[in-house]
Amino acid sequence: MDKLNMSRHISGKFNDELDAVRTQVMTMGGLVEQQLRDSLLAIETSDHELAEQILQRDYKINALEVQIDEACVQIIAKRQPAASDLRLVIAIFKTIADLERIGDEAERIARVALESFNNDHQQFLVSLENLGQHVLSMLHGVLDAFARMDLDSAYDVHQMDAQADRQYEALTRQLMTYMMEDPRGIPKVMNVLWSARSLERIGDRCQNIAEYIIFFVKGKDVRHVSPESMARAVGKKEQD
Amino acid sequence: MISVTPTNQQTESLDLDNLTAAQTALEIRNLNLHYGDAQALHNISMAIPKNRVTAFIGPSGCGKSTLLRCINRMNDLVEICKVSGEILLHEKNIYDKDVDAAELRRRVGMVFQRPNPFPKSIYENVVYGMRLQGVNDRRTLDEVVERSLKGAALWDEVKDRLNASAFGLSGGQQQRLVIARAIAIEPEVLLLDEPTSALDPISTLTIEELITELKEQYTVVIVTHNMQQAARVSDQTAFMYMGKLIEYADTNTLFTTPTQKQTEDYITGRYG
Repeated sequence: MDKLNMSRHISGKFNDELDAVRTQVMTMGGLVEQQLRDSLLAIETSDHELAEQILQRDYKINALEVQIDEACVQIIAKRQPAASDLRLVIAIFKTIADLERIGDEAERIARVALESFNNDHQQFLVSLENLGQHVLSMLHGVLDAFARMDLDSAYDVHQMDAQADRQYEALTRQLMTYMMEDPRGIPKVMNVLWSARSLERIGDRCQNIAEYIIFFVKGKDVRHVSPESMARAVGKKEQD
Repeated sequence: MISVTPTNQQTESLDLDNLTAAQTALEIRNLNLHYGDAQALHNISMAIPKNRVTAFIGPSGCGKSTLLRCINRMNDLVEICKVSGEILLHEKNIYDKDVDAAELRRRVGMVFQRPNPFPKSIYENVVYGMRLQGVNDRRTLDEVVERSLKGAALWDEVKDRLNASAFGLSGGQQQRLVIARAIAIEPEVLLLDEPTSALDPISTLTIEELITELKEQYTVVIVTHNMQQAARVSDQTAFMYMGKLIEYADTNTLFTTPTQKQTEDYITGRYG
């Protein structure tokens, strides 16, 4: 909070507006995290009822996205934010777009959970669970980093995506083997593959949000740069 | 390949610490200024590039107007004012003993906060400087009036009433008339001291548009309290605080990612 210097504006109303919009982003992040956690649980436990609930809750996330967008537009129009205030508003704009898409991916996973799986499929649902938990911890980490605008945690989440990609590739290879062994099971396996794909995309979106946090804190655009320049931007030696 | 071009009119950024002689209009070196015992400017050094708009921003009393006035030695008129250091115009220190202040002010024009037309006709206001120089040839003066008023984006509005009193013009028109008067004598540098603070938003935009056009021929230095205006019209911005130059950078950089905390606090409206 201190890093944000939020309460030091001469205009108390501007403080309130920025505070309100940040709180809304955190609320939205919390909802999205809940959706992802539940969709993983729904798949793991074949809980159709829970999956249905997830589908019905997605509208809340969409509504928040619209509300926050509107609030940001108002701030830009009335306050003409500059420097870190401007970077905060821009980071929020972009973050909520990614959060909304993560919500959509969670919804997609919940749809897969509505399918019935038998014991034969249990084994690849377990591999999905691993990837799912990894991505969930990325999302949790990046939301935490956003709340504190913490450069180090954002960078850590950014680095975690490599592992998500590796797990996704391994899972894809495994699923391909199943399809080749038993073509009749292809439709079911495909569903699992879609979910894996959704999880991998969520990892990418968490990485995007981490980049917006770095943009806010450092004022540097670290999208599409080499790992070396990324590490340099946040003042670290490259990990891995 | 899709090329990405900036949508604003700002020109490419320069390396302000290493301008070449050809790029430099003015160079300020270790400038200190005292009003009696009080020091108003502390060791200011900066290079102002040619054919660009440079803005000075900062809170009241930070020294930005004082610095601007130093550039055409307006402070000479203040008795208790003492200046040390150099301001180089074409590598010649304007504070050297052999520099004639009137001649300097011909090369460095100035426009103030409140429009100050003379109680004369529009025509006579524009040619005032020329007449002072002894130019009285009617045809030359006619040309100067048309060129200057066009340059100040006022010609179309006043061409049919050049002999009417300048006081009949609106505030925004008067300010453009004053700019026309300043550019009539073809200065190299144009100093604008809060040129729009007494104007309404529409006149302000007209003047801002004009400033962008003026920089093609002149080097413009502007002092403004309106930070958005500095962000809109200038190519580089200097932030001053308590008589010191805190940060001087490309405008795009200064307003998005300032490096100094004091700059950040000022432009985002925080307690310093």
